[in-house]
Amino acid sequence: MDFLAFLVTQCLNALSQAALLFFLGCGLTLIFGIMRIVNFAHGAFFMLGAYVGWSAVYVTGSFWGALIAAPILVGGFGAAFEMGILRRLYGRDGHSFLMVTFGLTLMMGEAIRLLWGVAALQVEMPKSLSGIVFILDEPFPIYRLFLAGAGIVTALVIWQFLERTRLGLLIRATSQNAEMVHALGTDVRLVRSAVFGIGCGLAGIGGVFAAPMVTASLGMAPNAVIDTFVIVIIGGMGSFLGSMIGALLVAFVQVFGSYYFPDFALAFMYLIMLTILVVRPGGLLGKEA
Amino acid sequence: MRMTLAVAVLLALLPLGLPPYAMTLLTEALIMALFAMSLDLMVGYARLISFGHAAAYGLGAYTCGNILLHTDIPLPFAVLIAGVFSGIVAIGVAWVCTLATGVSFSMLTLAFAQLLYAVAFKWTSVTGASDGLAGIPRTKGPFGTAFFGTKMGFYYLTMACLFGSFLFARAVVRSPFGAVLRGIRENEAKTLSLGYNTRLYKIAVVAMSYMLGGLAGALYAPFAGFANTELLFWLLSGQVLIMVIVGGTGTLVGPILGAVFFLLVQQQLSTYTDSWALVFGAIFILFVLFAPEGILGLARRRRAH
Amino acid sequence: MPLLELQGLTKRYGGILAVDQVTMAVEPGEVRAVIGPNGAGKTSLFHLITGVVKATEGDVLFDGQRVTAMPAFGRCQLGMSRTFQITALFPEMSARENTSLAAQARDKQRWRPLGGGSVFAEAQRRGDAALERLGLTHVAHRPAGLLSHGDQRLLEVAMALAQQPRLLLMDEPTQGLSVEETAQAVDVLAGLFAAGDLTVLLVEHDMEVVFRLAEKITVLHRGAVIADGDPETVKADATVQSAYLGGYA
Repeated sequence: MDFLAFLVTQCLNALSQAALLFFLGCGLTLIFGIMRIVNFAHGAFFMLGAYVGWSAVYVTGSFWGALIAAPILVGGFGAAFEMGILRRLYGRDGHSFLMVTFGLTLMMGEAIRLLWGVAALQVEMPKSLSGIVFILDEPFPIYRLFLAGAGIVTALVIWQFLERTRLGLLIRATSQNAEMVHALGTDVRLVRSAVFGIGCGLAGIGGVFAAPMVTASLGMAPNAVIDTFVIVIIGGMGSFLGSMIGALLVAFVQVFGSYYFPDFALAFMYLIMLTILVVRPGGLLGKEA
Repeated sequence: MRMTLAVAVLLALLPLGLPPYAMTLLTEALIMALFAMSLDLMVGYARLISFGHAAAYGLGAYTCGNILLHTDIPLPFAVLIAGVFSGIVAIGVAWVCTLATGVSFSMLTLAFAQLLYAVAFKWTSVTGASDGLAGIPRTKGPFGTAFFGTKMGFYYLTMACLFGSFLFARAVVRSPFGAVLRGIRENEAKTLSLGYNTRLYKIAVVAMSYMLGGLAGALYAPFAGFANTELLFWLLSGQVLIMVIVGGTGTLVGPILGAVFFLLVQQQLSTYTDSWALVFGAIFILFVLFAPEGILGLARRRRAH
Repeated sequence: MPLLELQGLTKRYGGILAVDQVTMAVEPGEVRAVIGPNGAGKTSLFHLITGVVKATEGDVLFDGQRVTAMPAFGRCQLGMSRTFQITALFPEMSARENTSLAAQARDKQRWRPLGGGSVFAEAQRRGDAALERLGLTHVAHRPAGLLSHGDQRLLEVAMALAQQPRLLLMDEPTQGLSVEETAQAVDVLAGLFAAGDLTVLLVEHDMEVVFRLAEKITVLHRGAVIADGDPETVKADATVQSAYLGGYA
């Protein structure tokens, strides 16, 4: 295959990968930016989304149905957890959140195993998306294009949501001055629960998107959580734009890295993260963690 | 000091009355206790929360495993060398991680552990990749070191390492160095403004912590006879952190208790259910929420009333 | 030779000029106050002198040595000790432990990980002496976080003193104190300075405190020095009066 075709297909690959990573990273950075919580359980929510998505497809027979049901259920669960447990920790230092969400990760992993079993679950790709298309004479899965597109659309939707809607405004205001927002009459606690729920919902929908490609399995959570942190640390904790850049960077490194250095792509990615952190401890665009 | 001696004597006499199966369990508990105590040095005394302490454990295990497999160095020395080596590597790790503070520091320690995990997965010649190292011998040597290869002997070796490390750690936290750590823990900015190069102290305590953690891993390799990538996995880092928090940070003794508690509960639970992760996750959350000073902290509060 | 010399010291934050070409010399044994309206750049100047913030231009010379590039902890080791506008202590340690840790910082073996009994003994001796000079011996064993605000301010001074500094920098020592506490603090400080063995650079808002304690005054306005000299001259200076004192005579 000629080099241009190779380059284009790999770039498209990277874009679709970046989309997946973006769903994860954007949710995490949103949660951190607004609530200063580092959600260790983010990968577990991603995994939960995949499994819930599988069940939704099983029950309704529709992938699109799963795309709607999963984020709502997962986000709802996230919001409930925030209201029940995380809320008690505000005012304590950041490590408490990290530890509690770590405990949640352990519990969720085990709960999923109990509810869905150990075997990896295959989610059916919808017929309309399961074919291939030819780009510069090279075959390329339609689903990946769909994923890349979904990522771009989601980025735009979230950007507009934050910039133009009332809730988005409240969210941005809370991240800058929660007390003022409270003084102006809004229950900041609700904003926080909403943000946590939205963040987890984003992770959940990422899980549904990922499921047809990678299958729903118990190993998803640890890989996802590490990847997400790498993205968010590179892009900068709390920066929405940063999470996009981070996702792109990591995806490109992963895709091209695993082609040229298959054995060390993973290690390479961590090296990049460490290098960036050494040069700019706050991440490329971040507010300090 | 008297308390320590009493416990030492008790532990030294135990093997004379226990069945071999219990001995194995006890040895494993002591190894875990050392691992947990080592983490307390940085978590409890300098408030440097590591989410990647498994890196120390795995590093120690693989190093010792390789020494025992490929050289004639006797067991006790292999263990000590592996521990020291982990500490030296940790200086580099700490140098990078201390560029950040707070939660970023924690995530960096996790990243390093993951890096080591990823490398170990592929570096077949040194780590055996996903198969790991197997058949690690308890190499004999002169001066009766063959004794340490036996079940009883290995127990005493582990006990000696735990006690030696405990005395070392305790001496450190009571020293001028330890006083500076306390300052860093309570108000790092002020400590810096008093003229202390706080970063160096942080690097030093992380290195010490990894050295002792590596010692624990180094004991595990000949104990189990194998070393694999599970020893570097983030789940282990999380488990040992849970032991420290539940046992009580900043006490050295608390994490030892936490490790024993953890292993006992895991033992009991696994006879009833496979879902110990569910229980531990819940216990951890409850402790963080309601008893952040851990079991030892609760006991102290009781005594104070 | 002056103990502290500032040459054209400047700090720019983006478009904002916080410190503007400040040139100043402080002789050994002098007690100098730096005053000026809010936002004049006094605390920024302190940050530059102690090394907490890097200068954009200019130099800081300590006892003839250029320290402009030296990090803060290094300058402290050379003999600069500082107190802060917002009280910074170790709240769970006793007052005695606070001063001891401060004194320990100047010990060559402050880093010893094993033993170190002699280090502690010497640090405690110096710390206790500092507590006594500040009249805090009666609260030596109380946790610092539980002291009254006035005692906390004095404890901070004691910590700086325990380091046996050559230059003591005090950023608004009477900040947040009641009228009574201020009077008490000033009495203690005046007694301290009278001994003559300290060089002091003092930022203060309270003019009565300034005129009681300072031998020389430097006035800052919008980051630049507008007057420099003994209290009477400065009081009479028209520029200063219009910028700050508003006719105080």
